[in-house]
Amino acid sequence: MTQTGRTVDEVAVAPDDVTSVEPRTSHSWWRLTVLGIGALVFVFPFYYMIIGSLQKNQNTSLSGVVPQPGNITLRNYGEINAALNLGKTLINSGVFTGGVLLATVVFGVLAGYALAQLRFRGRGLLFVSMLLLLMVPFQLLIIPLYVLIVRYYGLGDSYLGMIAPFAINSTAVFIFRQYFLQLPKELFDAARIDGANEFRILTRIALPLVRPALLTAMLLTFIGPWNEYLWPFLITKQQSMQPLAVALANYMNTVQSTVSNPFGTILAGAVVLAVPAVALFLAFQRYFVAPNIGSAVKG
Amino acid sequence: MKLRAIVVGALTLSMGLAACGSGAAPSSTKGATLSYGPISIWYSNNAQEITWGEQEVAAWNTLHPTQKVTGQQIPASQSSEEVISAAITAGSEPCLIYNTAPAAVPDFQQAGGLVPLNDFPGAVSYIQTRTGSLASMYKSPDGQYYQMPWKSNPVVIFYNKTEFAKAGISTTNPPLSTYSEFLATAQKLVSSGAAKYAIYPSPSSEFYESWYDFYPLYAAESGGKLLVENGKATFDSPAGQAVAAFWAQLYKENLAGTATVTGDTFADGTAAMAIVGPWAIADYQGKEGSPAVDYGVAPLPTSKGNTSYTIPTFSDAKNIGMYASCKNRGTAWDFLKFTTSASADGKLLTLTGQMPMRQGLQKAYASYFTANPDYTDFAVESAHVIECPNVPNSIQVWQDFRDDWSKSVIFGTSSPNAALASAASAINKLVSSSSSLP
Amino acid sequence: MPEVPPLEAELQLATRGSEMKLEAELPPGTGESRGTRLARAVLGPQPIGMAFGAPYALFIAVLFAYPLGLAVWISFHSYFFTAPGVSVARPFVGLANYVAVLTDSEVLRSFLNILIFLVINVPLTVALSLLLATALNAAIPFRALFRACFYVPYVTASVAMVAVWLFMFNTGGVVDSVLGPVAPVPSWLVNQNWAMPSIAIYVTWKQLGFFILLYLAALQNVPKELYEAASIDGASWWHRLWSVTIPGVRTVTTLITLLAIIVGANLFTEPYLLTAGGGPNGTSASPVLLMYQIGIEQNHPDFASALGVILVIGVLLIVGVQRLLQRNQT
Repeated sequence: MTQTGRTVDEVAVAPDDVTSVEPRTSHSWWRLTVLGIGALVFVFPFYYMIIGSLQKNQNTSLSGVVPQPGNITLRNYGEINAALNLGKTLINSGVFTGGVLLATVVFGVLAGYALAQLRFRGRGLLFVSMLLLLMVPFQLLIIPLYVLIVRYYGLGDSYLGMIAPFAINSTAVFIFRQYFLQLPKELFDAARIDGANEFRILTRIALPLVRPALLTAMLLTFIGPWNEYLWPFLITKQQSMQPLAVALANYMNTVQSTVSNPFGTILAGAVVLAVPAVALFLAFQRYFVAPNIGSAVKG
Repeated sequence: MKLRAIVVGALTLSMGLAACGSGAAPSSTKGATLSYGPISIWYSNNAQEITWGEQEVAAWNTLHPTQKVTGQQIPASQSSEEVISAAITAGSEPCLIYNTAPAAVPDFQQAGGLVPLNDFPGAVSYIQTRTGSLASMYKSPDGQYYQMPWKSNPVVIFYNKTEFAKAGISTTNPPLSTYSEFLATAQKLVSSGAAKYAIYPSPSSEFYESWYDFYPLYAAESGGKLLVENGKATFDSPAGQAVAAFWAQLYKENLAGTATVTGDTFADGTAAMAIVGPWAIADYQGKEGSPAVDYGVAPLPTSKGNTSYTIPTFSDAKNIGMYASCKNRGTAWDFLKFTTSASADGKLLTLTGQMPMRQGLQKAYASYFTANPDYTDFAVESAHVIECPNVPNSIQVWQDFRDDWSKSVIFGTSSPNAALASAASAINKLVSSSSSLP
Repeated sequence: MPEVPPLEAELQLATRGSEMKLEAELPPGTGESRGTRLARAVLGPQPIGMAFGAPYALFIAVLFAYPLGLAVWISFHSYFFTAPGVSVARPFVGLANYVAVLTDSEVLRSFLNILIFLVINVPLTVALSLLLATALNAAIPFRALFRACFYVPYVTASVAMVAVWLFMFNTGGVVDSVLGPVAPVPSWLVNQNWAMPSIAIYVTWKQLGFFILLYLAALQNVPKELYEAASIDGASWWHRLWSVTIPGVRTVTTLITLLAIIVGANLFTEPYLLTAGGGPNGTSASPVLLMYQIGIEQNHPDFASALGVILVIGVLLIVGVQRLLQRNQT
C-alpha cells in the first residue's frame, strides 16, 4: 500500500466549490478531451478487473477486453470463495477496520478536542508528538512493532495485534483538532458558565457542529485498515485470522496453479476487495474531496 | 548480503565480543517428553498430502481418544519457512510440522524452536533403522537429531514427449546425457518452435530456487558433494564451474527463461523440460482448461555423460520437526512414530508418489512398484540423494549463493566463475562464525 | 469556512505558548479553593484535558515512542528472533549494523531504485495532476464524475489494483497485445530496466487522484486578478502557466515531492507483489521490502532495525529541510 497513512497529507477537508475558477472558461472542449482520456485511463483497470473476473478461460488478447458471451462465468467467484473463505476474511477485514474506526472516533475526538480547546500541562508535547507521528511512516517501525506485538505482548494472529498500531489515526486526530479550533470560543465559555462539564460540551455542542469533519475523518480512517497489507500480513499467519487483502495476496503468491483460470480467480477476489471501499467512496463522495491543504502546507 | 556478513563479522570480532547464538537452550523441560494429551500438527497444502494427513489423523484419533490430534494445512505464504519461523517467534507453532525443510533446521534450532528427538528413548535407533545411512545427513553439528527424515523427492529431468516429438527428437531415449547433447536438444526444441523455452527453472531470487537448477546438477557433476563440507564451500571448483557455465549458456541462448512467471511452465507447455521430483506429477495430470502433459523422465546430465539413476541428486526432502512450544511431547513422539511406520509410509507412497526415506523401498513396497513402474526410477534415485548442508546460517548461505547466481548465471551481469568464488568466500565466513550476525 | 491558522504558527503557539497560557485565561468560575488553584497551576487550567488526551498519549507512547526506542536499541545489538522463553546473549555491537547497512550492495541498490522511482514519479505526478486539475478547474459537464474517476484508484486497496496491473502488464498481457512489437522483451515487470519504472508509473496512477484534488484546491486559491492582469497584458497561455499558475501552486508541488519521497521510502506492496519480491535481480527492491526480507524472513532484525532508523532520520531530515525552505520562501 502506498498510502502513507499517517503523513501530513490527508488533512482538513472542506467542501469543494467551483467559485474561483480560472476566468477564461469558454473553450471547454480541450478540458473535456483531456479529462475524457484521463478518466478512461483511470477507469479501464476497474472495468478490466470485472471483465477478467468473469472470464471462463483467461483471455489476455485484445478481444478479451470486450466481454465474450461464450466465455462468461461466475465460477471464479466460487473458486476464490472456496480457497479463501471470503465470508471469514471479510469479517476479519471488517473487525480490523471497525476496531480502528471505533478507537479513532472515541479517542481521536477526545484528543482532538483537548488539543484544540483545552489548556492543560503536556498539551504542547502531545501536539508535537502527533506531528512527529504524522511524519514518520509506520512502515519504518515494522521491526520493533513486530517484536513488541508478537513477542512481548503475544498478540500474533489476533485482532488486537492487528488493530493496535493503527488504533488511533493521527491524521483523523489532526482533522478533529483543526475543526474544533475553528469553533468560536464564546460558545464553550457560555456553556461552561452554565455549569456544563467538558464531556457534555464536547458531545452536545462541539460534536454536532463538526459532523461533516467526523464523516470525512472516518472515511479517511476506513481506507487505511481496509486496504492495509504489510502489517496484517506480518502478524497473521493463520488464514482464519487474515483480512481479505492479506489472504488474497497470499493466494496470488501460492496456490494459484490449482484452479483452471488463476487470474480470473485472483481478479474475482480483487473485485470483492475493491467493492466496499469504492462503494463507500461513491456514496460519500461529497465528504471525500478537495482537501483544504492550506492548513497543512502553508506557512 | 555478502558484504554485510563480512563487515559485521569483522567488526564484531575486532570489538572482541563473544559471538552468540548457537547455544540457544530449548525452553523444554524433560518432563514434557513424558506428557500425553491433545496435540496439533501441520501438514503441507497440496491435495495429496492433505488426504494422507487427514487419514493418518483420523486413524490415530480412533485409537487414542484421549490424545486427540488436530491436523491443519500449513498457513499459506510465500514460503513455509517464513510461516514456521514467525510461529516459532510467537510461540504459536504446532507440535509437529510435516513440512520442515532440512535447510531451515539450523535456523529453527538456533532460535530454540526445535525439540531434539534424542530426548526420546530409542529415537536414534528408530531413525537410523528406518532411514539407514542417509540419516546421518540430518544430524545436526551437535550430534542430535532435530528432525525426523521423512520423505524425499529425488530431482530428475522431466520432458514433454509431445513437444519432443514435434521437434523430431526421440521420445523414448532423448539425447540428454552430456551437457553438449542437452544443449543441442534444447536448441532444437526452441528453434523448431516446439516449445518457447527448453527448460524454465524459476529465475526468482528466493533462497531455495538453487535447489532446482544449480544444486542437482552440481550433485551429479561432483559425485555427490554438498554445498558446504567441513566448514568450506565446495562449489568453487571445476565441477561447480562446469555447471554454472552450462546454465549460463542456456540463459545466454535464451533456451531458459529469465522472466518470473506465474504458474507452472512445464505443465502449461511453455517449457519442454523441468527439473523436479515426483511430487509434481500430480500437477501434470491435467485439469479443466489445461490438458495433461505426456511426460517422460530422464536422469540428470553431467559434462561427461550420465544415463543412470544412481547418480547423486538433490533430495528435495521434507522432514518432520517437533517444535518447542509442544506440551504433550510424549503424544507427539508416539504420533510421529505412528505416521512413519511401514504402513503409514506405504500409504504416503501410494497417495503422493513421494519417496518415504526408508531403506529398501522397492522391496518393502514391491507391489506398488510393479503397478507403477514409472516410479521405480525415483525409488532407485532416492538412495542416492544429497541434502542441504546442516550448517549455521543455512538459509543465508543459500540466499548468498542465489544472489551471486542470479547476477552472473541468469542475468549475465558478471562472470559466473568470479561469482562462484565470491559466493564461496562469503559462505566460508558465514559457516565458520557461529555468530548470528548477518 | 474560516481560514485555518497555518501549521507553523500553530506549532509555535503550541510549543512556546502552552506554558505561558497555563496561568492565563482561567475560565470564568470563581471561589476556588487554594488546592484547586494549586492543581491548576501544576496541571493547567483545564486538567480534564489530560484525561481526554490520555488514551492518545498512551497510544503514542506504547506504539510509537517505545518502538522507536526499541528500534534504536536493537540496531546497536546483535539480535535475532527466538522462541518464547529462550534466552540468548544479545551483545552490544556498536555501529556494526549501521556499517553493514550502508555498505550492503542490496541496500544501496534499493536506494538507487528509489531514486529511479522519484525521477519518474515526481515529474509525472506533477505534470499530469496539474494538467488534469487545470482541466477540472472550470464549470464543465460531468465534473463530479471525472473527479470520482480520478479518485477511485486512490481509495482502492493496492492488493486489488496490483492484481489487475499484473493481469494487464504480464508477459503476453493486454498491454503487450496493444503494443505488439514495441512492447519490451522481457515484459515490463520482469525486465530489469522496466521493473522500477513500471512501479513508478503504477504508483503515479494510483495516487494521482489525491494530488489532482490538492492542485484543484490550490488553483482555486490563486487570485483571479492575477489571471486577469496577465490576460490584459496579452500573455499566452504558456506564459500564464509559467508566471501565474505554477508559482501559485508551488506549495503543493513541494508537498508532492515530499510525499513521493516518503512513499518511495515505504514501498512494499508493489515490489513484493507486482515484481515478485523486488525482482528481477533486485532491480525493484525497496528499503522496506529489504527490511521485511532481511529482518523477518532471514531473521536479522538488528540489520533491518538499523536500516529503519536510517530511513526515519532521512525522512525527518527531508521534512525538516522542506519546512525550512518553505519558511524562507514566505
